[in-house]
Amino acid sequence: MESATVSVGHGHADHHHGPPEANQSSRIDRQTLGILLFIVSEVMLFGAFFASYFFLRVVVDPASWPPEPYELPVAVAGMNTAILVSSSFTIHYALESIRRGNRAGLKLGLVATWLLGATFLFIQINEYVHLGFSARDLSFGSIFYSLTGLHGAHVFVGLLLLSFATIRAFRGHFGPKAEDHLGVEVPGIYWHFVDIMWIIVYVTVYIL
Amino acid sequence: MKFNEAAVFKWVVIVGVAAALVIVVTLLMRPLAGALFGLVLVIAGCVYGYRWTSQKRHELAAKK
Repeated sequence: MESATVSVGHGHADHHHGPPEANQSSRIDRQTLGILLFIVSEVMLFGAFFASYFFLRVVVDPASWPPEPYELPVAVAGMNTAILVSSSFTIHYALESIRRGNRAGLKLGLVATWLLGATFLFIQINEYVHLGFSARDLSFGSIFYSLTGLHGAHVFVGLLLLSFATIRAFRGHFGPKAEDHLGVEVPGIYWHFVDIMWIIVYVTVYIL
Repeated sequence: MKFNEAAVFKWVVIVGVAAALVIVVTLLMRPLAGALFGLVLVIAGCVYGYRWTSQKRHELAAKK
């Protein structure tokens, strides 16, 4: 028994070092599966915040929402929404470009997306400065800053991911084959998710 | 439908159009009407998603 174990172990060591290869699905690559699972967990996180929002708005039931004398800058936030939605089009353009082998289009799309995302974040911070209420002002202030702040944090992370992808694009990484531009594909999926979440946050918090 | 950037981009467009419709309904009527309309759209989306996944499951079962 002992000799058999030793001989198998010795033979194995001749050909392979380290742990065995991880099993991988033939339907989806591990990076895309990873971002899918991450997004599922993020949906649950946002779901918890939305549940708090609707609980405070419907169950606690204040006389008016937003409570007097607070007002939300619907038009400015609407313009910000348009900026973020357009950034989804630019990242899609970047990916379509690299799929066709157009590196200049990839760089242009990534830079445009980064600038639009940074503009969104800048306007969001500027909005916070001029709102006239803080997270300490009633449950309304708390949930408003929690929900929009949670989203803002996601935009910040998205900008970091886009920065890495843009630097790599300018260094000549990425190619037309699917496995050669996963470094843009995965941040692109994340960016679209952030965009979808903002559309829902905007309609829920500012419009309804 | 594969899960990739192009598929998620389609969802950005779908959610964007749905949100625009909810905004129009809210502005024309009142927030409660917009919220109910949004709820109807979410339920319709869930039903569509469920039908799509069950169809996909049947296809995979047939392949086996």
